[in-house]
Amino acid sequence: MSDSEQQESDKVSEAQWPENGGSWSDTENEAGMDSDLLQAMAEEDEEINIFNEETFGMDVDPNGTANSLDNGGISFGEPLPSTPPPNTDPKPLSPSTSPPSPPRQRPQYLPQYPARAAQWQRIRGPRWRGGLGRGQMFDDPAVMRIVEGRPSLMSVDSAIVDCGHAVYRNTSLDNRTQPPYWKNRRAPASILQDSAIVCVIGHRARGQRVNSDLLDLSYPVSSYGEKRGGPYNRMLFGQRGPSQMHSPMMPRSPIFSRQPLTPRQHFNQTGGFMFPPNRPCPSTPRPLTPKIMQLRFGADSPRPSPFYSPSTNRVQPFSYGDPVTQLHPQHKRLLSQKQHLFQRKSQGSDPYCNLMTTKEKEWIIRLQMIQLQSENPYLDDYYYQEYYRRLEAKMAEEELGMRSKKEPPKLTTPYITKTDAYAPVFHIEGSLGQVAVSTCYSPRRAISAVNAVQTHCPLEELKDTRQQRLEILSKIEKLFIVLLEVEETERMKTPVSSEAEDAMLLEKIQRKVEHIYSELQHHDSLDSGTEFLPVLSVSKGKKLLARLLPFLKNDSAIKILHIIASNLPTVMSKDTEETLPVLYLPLRNVIGGLTFSQLIKVLRDLTSSESLSTLECLSLACQNKFGLTLLYALLSHGEKLLSSGVPLEPSIGDFETWTDIIFQVAGQLSQCSLVEPLLLPSNLLTLFCRYLDKRTVHQLKSNLESATGCLALPS
Amino acid sequence: LAVTLACRSLFQLFYSFFKSLVGKDVVVELKNDLSICGTLHSVDQYLNIKLTDISVTDPEKYPHMLSVKNCFIRGSVVRYVQLPADEVDTQLLQDAARKEAMQQKQ
Repeated sequence: MSDSEQQESDKVSEAQWPENGGSWSDTENEAGMDSDLLQAMAEEDEEINIFNEETFGMDVDPNGTANSLDNGGISFGEPLPSTPPPNTDPKPLSPSTSPPSPPRQRPQYLPQYPARAAQWQRIRGPRWRGGLGRGQMFDDPAVMRIVEGRPSLMSVDSAIVDCGHAVYRNTSLDNRTQPPYWKNRRAPASILQDSAIVCVIGHRARGQRVNSDLLDLSYPVSSYGEKRGGPYNRMLFGQRGPSQMHSPMMPRSPIFSRQPLTPRQHFNQTGGFMFPPNRPCPSTPRPLTPKIMQLRFGADSPRPSPFYSPSTNRVQPFSYGDPVTQLHPQHKRLLSQKQHLFQRKSQGSDPYCNLMTTKEKEWIIRLQMIQLQSENPYLDDYYYQEYYRRLEAKMAEEELGMRSKKEPPKLTTPYITKTDAYAPVFHIEGSLGQVAVSTCYSPRRAISAVNAVQTHCPLEELKDTRQQRLEILSKIEKLFIVLLEVEETERMKTPVSSEAEDAMLLEKIQRKVEHIYSELQHHDSLDSGTEFLPVLSVSKGKKLLARLLPFLKNDSAIKILHIIASNLPTVMSKDTEETLPVLYLPLRNVIGGLTFSQLIKVLRDLTSSESLSTLECLSLACQNKFGLTLLYALLSHGEKLLSSGVPLEPSIGDFETWTDIIFQVAGQLSQCSLVEPLLLPSNLLTLFCRYLDKRTVHQLKSNLESATGCLALPS
Repeated sequence: LAVTLACRSLFQLFYSFFKSLVGKDVVVELKNDLSICGTLHSVDQYLNIKLTDISVTDPEKYPHMLSVKNCFIRGSVVRYVQLPADEVDTQLLQDAARKEAMQQKQ
């Protein structure tokens, strides 16, 4: 994005910023003012007037010398650039190509300009030559505002700079009778010669809420160095040290009354010298020599950049996040809900607030944001977009459901004060010698990848196991990427209309899915019944399988179900992190598609194992959340099939197996202590009622209920 | 330019992640052992953090923080950020990390 554009914009801006002050003419181009610009200007001036009157109790003669100010003064536009929102607009390449933001330039002063020039030094700039780019030039905050101190002088020298004179408060109109050292200030010419003077005058406080005090944090512009403004900015902020405060114009009395600055008082911060005007200036002010000025506005100063003031674009509420950050609508909604709860107390008087106006801050933030603009926000900003998309989808789903108005989750986030629970040093169990303390430089290693190994294993076996595990993990990772592609393609499929494309995408999906499937199968153990086991022993693998299952063809899915059922004890025992539940839902969907025979087969697998008796299998299953829930799911499906009246087409012996299992399960369930299942199907007891006597059922029921803590059935 | 791009992609993931936490309460532990609790106001691509309504978890030790309401923390001085667990979708984060790794390879 940056380089070529920058160059281009540089060139353009160069053209518009005549380096030699001499080329600036005095009174030209008055006629070029647009009326709407005037209009805007008028509005602003009125506002300024009102403010001044309120603040200072004007006893100004309205006609005053203001009129003479009008001679062709072009003032600078809105100080803020408008970086277009990242995805919608093309970036502004140069000032001349894109139109400036809504006309906010004030090319002329209107007669209402307060004669109290002290407070309100409007910029009466040099009359820039060249009508074309003029407007755009002044959109840029990086344009110096030349504040005028003496109306009479305007006609003499267009390039008079008022360096911070603005805040001089006087009850009398002393500044009128200022010593003519104004005339001595020829330095401005040199400043103006440097086109890269930044004026950070904000002057728009309209619509600013008190909340904006939140944003009144001075912060180092960390990225600014990249924007060639590094040294400058540091100067900028460094200036706030009292020792550096100058009132160049006021060798005599630059005492600024200490007042809390309202946002509107930003107006006082004219002169572009980042004066915190409400601070008393303790040091003896020195007149700003040209040299010092040069320092401040040296070659490194940011050049006027082709960014435009957003001015009227402040439509989005931005009490959270930077004003520039584009928030996902769902995020915005959540934040505004939260906002309603909190009353923002009005801040007490803070002498250091509002040093920068919101516009200035926004401008800087936008500069930073430029780096973040991307053509592909979904990918570049994946986490954020996806997170809120899912949240939105979830909320929409819930709203469609029974509840009419869902309580927004957690309007008030509880304070996190869990410092006592936070143990900064993490001791790894079973480690010998020095504990590897996890610091920010060496975060903890993935503990889960390290197998909880039996200590009595010989070393080689250990290594082998670990090696295998690592291999499996690495394979899973690679397959995960493929899975992500599959999911992405699937998501792309829905909005796509054409059938041919659909088919193509489907085929692509299938290909990838099959690839994953075959990889997971672990070829050397095909048909042994242990295919997917290595994968299942790792939690990552389980997650992968869980997400893969919906994409699999029925046969493949059933195969996986079989494998899990037949190896349930092993699988359960290896599930140290309890990741198995993620498999539950996809498996339940698979179960839902089983025929009766298939179901019986699965149940048989579950209950028959090489090493364990049926009873043992069952009791093990009952002790495990996943196992129990899986069992329930299978039984429930069977019941559903039986009660649905659909012809079952059972194979021989199916029904016997079925009833056998029912009895055994019932026996187990009523005797063992059960864990709480993930889900308790409602038709279970109906099932048992068919086959068992009332008393047993009753006992079962109470056992089930005690485990879950809820009713087992609508009986 | 190359460095910027590389850094950018590295930061993009975390920037995206922290963006989703704007508005939530977090505790930022700095490398100087100061822990600041507050509401995440904004974050930038350098993971500089702005917090509002802050409170120091150990006020007696850092009395100078009592009057501070909002703060800006430079990203490089952060050691940890403690987050509300339910605001994080770890699965999504893993996916995002994988995508990031994929992109980096390309």
